[in-house]
Amino acid sequence: MITIKQSCLIVLLGVALTACKKNYLEVSPRDRVGDDVVWATTANADLFLNDIYNQMPDMNNETEHLDQYTDNSDVGVTWMQGYANIRIANVTPSNLPRGPWDMWYWGKDGNGDSRTGNYEKIRKCNLFIEKVTASKLPDDYKKERIAEVRFLRALFYHWLWMAYGGIPVITKTLDNITQGDSIYIPRSTEVETFQFITNELAETAPLLPLQQSDPGRPTRGAALTLKGWCELFEASPLRNSGNAANPVGDVERWKKASATNKAVMDLGVYDLYPDFRALFLKSANNSLESIFARQYMPGKGGQLEGKEGPTIVNGTELAWGNFQPTQELVDDFSMANGKAISEPGSGYDPQHPYLNRENRFYQTILFNGSEWQGDTIKTVVGLGRSTENEIDLGYSSDVTHTGYYACKRLDESILGSDNRANSTSYQNYMFFRYAEVLLSFAEAENEVNGPTPDVLAAVNKVRTRSNNLPTVQATYGAVNQDKMREIIHRERRVELAFEDKRWWDVLRWKIADKMADGTPGVLNRPEAGMVITSDNGTLVYTRTNVSNRLFLPKMYMMPVPQYVLDRNYKIRQQSGGKDGWINGQNPGY
Amino acid sequence: MHFFVSKGSTFPYERPVPLKTILWIMRCSTLVLAILLCGCSILVAAKTNGQDIRETRISLGLSGKSLETALKEIEQHTNFRFGYRLSEISRFSHIQLPEATRTVATTLDLLLSGTGLTYQQKDHYVFIVPVPASPKIQPQEQLTVTGTVTSAKGEKLPGVSIRLKGAANGTNTDPEGRFSIVVPDEQSILIFSFIGYITKEVPVAGNTSINIQLEESATALSEVIVVGYGTQLKVNSIVAVSVVKGKDFAQKPVVNMTNSLVGRMPGLIADQGSGEPGLDGSRIRIRGTSTIGNANPLLVVDGIYRDFSRLDPATIESVTILKDAAAVAPYGLAGANGVILVTTKKGKTGAPTLSYNGYAGFQNPTRMPRMVNSYEYALLTNEANRNDNFNPSFTDAQIAGYKKTVDGAADADPDKYPNSRGLRDVLQRNALLTNHNLQLSGGTEKVKYFAALGYTSQDGQFSTTSLKKYNALANLDVAATTTTHVGISISGWVEDQHYSGYSDPGSGDANNRYASAGGGIMYQAFRTPPTSAIYYSNGLWGSYITNSLVGTIAHSGYARNENTQIMTTFSIEQQLPFIKGLSIKGVASYDPYNTYTKVWKTPILTYSADFTTTPYTYTPAYLGPSKPSLSLSTSQNKAFTYQGYLNYHNTFGKHDITFLGVLESRSQKYWDLSGSRINYPIDIDELDRGGTAQGDLSNGGASSEERQIGYVYRLSYNYDGKYLAEVSGRYDGHYYFAPGHRYGFFPAFSLGWNMARESFIKDNAAWIDLLKVRASYGESGNLAGGPFQYLTGYSVYNNAAVLNGALTAGISEVLQANTAITWERAKKTNVGMEASLWKGKLLIGADYFYEKRSNMLVPPSVTVPAEYGVGLTEQNAAIMSNHGLEISLGTNHTFSNGLHLEVNGNFTYAQNKLLQVFETDATYNNPNRRQTGRPYGTQFGLKALGYFTPADFNADGSLKAGVASLPDAPVHPGDLRYADLSGPSGKPDGIIDDNDQTVIGRPNGTPQMIFGFSPNLSWKGFDLNFLLQAATQITLPVGGSLVFPFDQQGSASELYYKDHWTPANTTALYPRASTQPKDYNTRYSSWWLRDASYLKLRSAELGYSLSAKLIRRIGIQQLRVYVAGQNLWTWTPHMKEKIDPEARSSNGQYYFQQQTTSLGLNVTF
Repeated sequence: MITIKQSCLIVLLGVALTACKKNYLEVSPRDRVGDDVVWATTANADLFLNDIYNQMPDMNNETEHLDQYTDNSDVGVTWMQGYANIRIANVTPSNLPRGPWDMWYWGKDGNGDSRTGNYEKIRKCNLFIEKVTASKLPDDYKKERIAEVRFLRALFYHWLWMAYGGIPVITKTLDNITQGDSIYIPRSTEVETFQFITNELAETAPLLPLQQSDPGRPTRGAALTLKGWCELFEASPLRNSGNAANPVGDVERWKKASATNKAVMDLGVYDLYPDFRALFLKSANNSLESIFARQYMPGKGGQLEGKEGPTIVNGTELAWGNFQPTQELVDDFSMANGKAISEPGSGYDPQHPYLNRENRFYQTILFNGSEWQGDTIKTVVGLGRSTENEIDLGYSSDVTHTGYYACKRLDESILGSDNRANSTSYQNYMFFRYAEVLLSFAEAENEVNGPTPDVLAAVNKVRTRSNNLPTVQATYGAVNQDKMREIIHRERRVELAFEDKRWWDVLRWKIADKMADGTPGVLNRPEAGMVITSDNGTLVYTRTNVSNRLFLPKMYMMPVPQYVLDRNYKIRQQSGGKDGWINGQNPGY
Repeated sequence: MHFFVSKGSTFPYERPVPLKTILWIMRCSTLVLAILLCGCSILVAAKTNGQDIRETRISLGLSGKSLETALKEIEQHTNFRFGYRLSEISRFSHIQLPEATRTVATTLDLLLSGTGLTYQQKDHYVFIVPVPASPKIQPQEQLTVTGTVTSAKGEKLPGVSIRLKGAANGTNTDPEGRFSIVVPDEQSILIFSFIGYITKEVPVAGNTSINIQLEESATALSEVIVVGYGTQLKVNSIVAVSVVKGKDFAQKPVVNMTNSLVGRMPGLIADQGSGEPGLDGSRIRIRGTSTIGNANPLLVVDGIYRDFSRLDPATIESVTILKDAAAVAPYGLAGANGVILVTTKKGKTGAPTLSYNGYAGFQNPTRMPRMVNSYEYALLTNEANRNDNFNPSFTDAQIAGYKKTVDGAADADPDKYPNSRGLRDVLQRNALLTNHNLQLSGGTEKVKYFAALGYTSQDGQFSTTSLKKYNALANLDVAATTTTHVGISISGWVEDQHYSGYSDPGSGDANNRYASAGGGIMYQAFRTPPTSAIYYSNGLWGSYITNSLVGTIAHSGYARNENTQIMTTFSIEQQLPFIKGLSIKGVASYDPYNTYTKVWKTPILTYSADFTTTPYTYTPAYLGPSKPSLSLSTSQNKAFTYQGYLNYHNTFGKHDITFLGVLESRSQKYWDLSGSRINYPIDIDELDRGGTAQGDLSNGGASSEERQIGYVYRLSYNYDGKYLAEVSGRYDGHYYFAPGHRYGFFPAFSLGWNMARESFIKDNAAWIDLLKVRASYGESGNLAGGPFQYLTGYSVYNNAAVLNGALTAGISEVLQANTAITWERAKKTNVGMEASLWKGKLLIGADYFYEKRSNMLVPPSVTVPAEYGVGLTEQNAAIMSNHGLEISLGTNHTFSNGLHLEVNGNFTYAQNKLLQVFETDATYNNPNRRQTGRPYGTQFGLKALGYFTPADFNADGSLKAGVASLPDAPVHPGDLRYADLSGPSGKPDGIIDDNDQTVIGRPNGTPQMIFGFSPNLSWKGFDLNFLLQAATQITLPVGGSLVFPFDQQGSASELYYKDHWTPANTTALYPRASTQPKDYNTRYSSWWLRDASYLKLRSAELGYSLSAKLIRRIGIQQLRVYVAGQNLWTWTPHMKEKIDPEARSSNGQYYFQQQTTSLGLNVTF
């Protein structure tokens, strides 16, 4: 009995003791570390930087690529941003596309959005720069890593700048407790923003190594390439002249672009990879042609084949088929003799449209009759809908409704369904590669000096890779500046198809809403596909409009999101001034 | 109205018995206390030499047992041995003795009353002998009155004492309830009394035959209710609580106990969002939603913070909800959302009783939408293509092919031209649900026990979905000494959940209403159009868009969860000898919870058809991963609770004082481990057999710890049961917050007045048994957000960027800290009344409540620019009010033919209002859009006016001037038109945009009004009860393929096909067809909101108990068969779409609520 009483007291005592234990409520979190740890060693600070690299668009896991916003590719399904917003001109401040993998997403909208916007990424860069600068880490480390971070910050800024024009340029971390009202920063002008980005790149380029011992980090060439691209964008009609009468505009801008791209060529560290098809496969990761790329490997792979690859393979729907080349893109591939199909002497036969085309055509496009993974792609009408790639003329399935798929960047050895389940795309995603630099140089230089031998050499280098095409001269003889421009534009479209370049190109060339001659622009006219029917075994090819497009002039720039205006009175309230729209909403919205 | 006046009694007169009952209970409790407080030695002494039947006490209750059994029972629990002649006692085979603790002598008095027998004690022997014949007195003018005494339920009551008022003589009823008594004259008054029943006085008034019904006194007045950290006499309780007894729902075919409560208690609002086994729990709100943060009530089982959803309903004694500040104050920072206290059954003194209950039920969806057939699909597709200026997708030949299949034509080709039916092709009808429960209970004065085993097996609507649940419970109460009481409770459950490998149970969180393991399958089911074969005619199956419906269900591996919960509690209570009424109690509880999840995903088998061969050929193909993968994870959560109690109760004259002090500390330790492998070279689902290449392996693990400490007090006082007052509260500390912000104080006060005890009612309105008004005010808290939000820092994660050919880890900044973050505070006011009239014939309860919740956490992101770059931890800035009304009514009556009717109804209304919340100017300055001042969750959107008509357009197809539209939307007649309500300047601007949003619907999820109505009938062997439950003031959005055809390449509903806009049908339910839902039609607008008010036959049960005479021969005391059902009928007048109004998904792609009918059996041995 006494023992029971005692045990009773022991229980009570136990409770009392636990309760009275000092700091009973002191529990240390096991999921976070403090400043003292992060900025103490280079290894720890690198972990922070790894996260910034991880913020770059994860394009090999993206479903909807930027080419689907353009006339290069139809959009897989119409609920995606490309269709839902861009193709039907449904772009408003509260309904705007954020770009593939949030490429030009401004910042979190404050409604619990889990996605990361560019200003979140920019803060990470600013924080790294501030903390590392203030730390006791070795100077060598500071110099090299801060340069990397400034490059990354410029990369994030350049997407915002291309999409919105002038934007708030923020180079310090904001703190609402200590900085008061100065956390509200107005938009810089478009030119100021451009200058900020290119100055940053000009300053960081010399600080970066010529060749990276750590693949995935930027090099001097990467900084210059990004700078050259921005300069090309700034020199192009959209931001330079903006009218047909003066397609060149301020020639100094073209000169800058030409010089910077030339500087990349002069670094002497880049060359074209001989095999165009293999260039995009993992065997060519970090090749001489790759200038800056997001890296993939087992454990951190992509889902390209499953999301973009042909839908039905060997009778089973394995992939989502989101690369759906349009007839317009198909038509822009040259004949093997170097001529465009519309040009006299090209030898193009509309009833045998896939004969005698340039190599890149077969290395980019899958069409009726193409071999893929041991199967033959069949898009002919009347095969039985659910077991073949019979062209879908509506949007009632994932099957192509242009009659084409793409194989570029896709690894034929990877099955689509397995790829989506296990993320097995290990090829890198190249933000920039050397062929683009050559074409950018050629384009800029052609605007400055016309088709000089340097221009021709650069274009020919790309055209003739692995005997793809004869040279420009061999095809056309002497060409003038306008013809050269046309050749470069077409070359650029074909060479860089499905690399998320076309959208920016048609914007900067200002050919989206209407052409220089006033005809509907390339994003403002119906798109075609190829309907193939069988007439007693003979295939009949009929071009058919498969998609309607609408592009309004305002869409050359994205609207500043409504929540951005709502939350920063300096953007909302200040309007007027020289640029009119700089601190308010972009024109047209 | 005097329902219970028995035939022949013309001037019934009832005494106001409640007082007596209360006094009786108080006497009893005082006696118990007195005995307990006298210390152990006295009682022990009494035990050793006390062979006196007037001192030895026994707790005994019998129903329908023989007298012999009764005597044996007494022998079992005492040292006494009986001597009797079997022939003299055997005829008393059906005696009734209400459960109570009495002396042996009293027990025998009751048992033998009316039998003509009495007893004589010699040492420890007690002899049962016939009553010695007494000399008969034959008074003048005597009158013999005879009659029968029955209970309200019509049972004959033997042993009822009948006494002549003002005289000593009396008699008892015989085993058939009959009596005969000689009274001196016609003005005599008879007093009928029987333990457990209300004493009744009946004037003879010349009648020689009087039949009497006695009412059970176990009404609300003597009920004891469970409250925070203790119990209270309901009549003296002045807190707002509601109770439902376990027996009310135990036998309904419901697996998750949270689904049994809605409609049964005022103040409880619940909705069941899914029917998926293991994930089908209801979301419960006490008095609606009072916060924008976590609004879940605190769950307590047997005094410890625990989830009750998996408990076996058959082992539940009662469920109590605590509602007002006074009731929840003991729970401090966890109580503001209300508290649900679940009490499991305990053993009772008596012979061991073994009982079995089992049922088998069949489950089917409550409501299920119909989709188009393939012919309709093809026509609709082409119509949409036409509308969008595309070429037709289906040729005439194809359409003809589908038509033949749909029509069942002899020359149809159902393989090339299928007509599949989506979900209906794969759904398992009449999925089986079985439940078995075995219980053993009994006890002696010293040891009482209750033990139960339960088994539940539930099949799903998919062949690979099933659940098995095993429950066990053992409650042991031991009077270790006369002053020491020990309680040991061990219980637990194991739940095995099986799903197809395609589902991901890792994402299935039982507490998350949106998690669903079956969601992916349902997506595929609604997506697959009828033109895509789900099954081919030869039984093989096909696929659609990289997935196969049959494959995902049945050929994709498996996903299994095995969750094990053990609950142990050890308590010891000691009466302290030095102060009367004082006791201390210590409780220690250890609850480990383990989860084990195994997901084996295999390539998904499907078949590719080739229609170019004759006959068609089918080859196997695989979707999903090309090789199997396995992931395993396990976690453990160990919860420790220690409670130290100080209890004091004493009365000083008419003053009654109760004090409770509790010190409680709680802690939890959690860890998890996980590992996964992909690319299994061979199909052995073991972790070690997986792929070994880089990227094939991954492992993970984490741990965390939680702590809380609280000091609870409650002081109750009442004067003569009339004036009641209580103060209670808790000083509470929690590890979530920064030092200096960790402790809070949550006090509450309440006052009550029981008017029925005032003489003006006692004297003038004796039919009022109870009339109590009460009011309470207090503060309570709600833990919101997460731990450590007061700290800045960085979190570490794996699998950041690939650099230098290697995987890296990453570090990123967490949210900007808020060092002042703290809990939500609720100020609650409650005014209520309770009444019991006509001896409990009518029970009325009503409560009005008002709550103001402040400190609610809101993300302050709108206070910084969108360029800020890092999220801000929430701030305690939002304020919300919630008010409402609860009413409950109950009545019961037994008709003369034995039909017993009991009806309970309840009504709850709760509406909240945001008083302060972060808003942008755009919404705050627009009266249509302002959230402040409106209920939380109010749905804002565009106001749809109907469809554009041809008259809205110019000849070139452009909209006429002045017709407002979404900017640049290429609308046509048959597309939705919206009201232009406002613009950036606050005035209509001809443009439809966010500025035109307005209130279009009530909050989604929790209805603002809920009704419950539950009649209960019994007649002879039959019993019938059902629960009708209704909810209103709730708006449900509809979307997805349920209303938008071809959404995500999906199918279309039959309803859409039949009623969408065409030039010939301009008043259609749905807009014109398009190849994909058009953004300008799918905008969140009033067009897509539905009034989800409903009336459901939530449950019903019809039982029949076999005659006791019949079954006793085979050794069974009770045998009952019953049919029962859950969700039997749903009426939802405003929802044309056939989904359940409680759907958690607007597009119907969720696991449907189930309608269950069952057949069951109860046996008591």
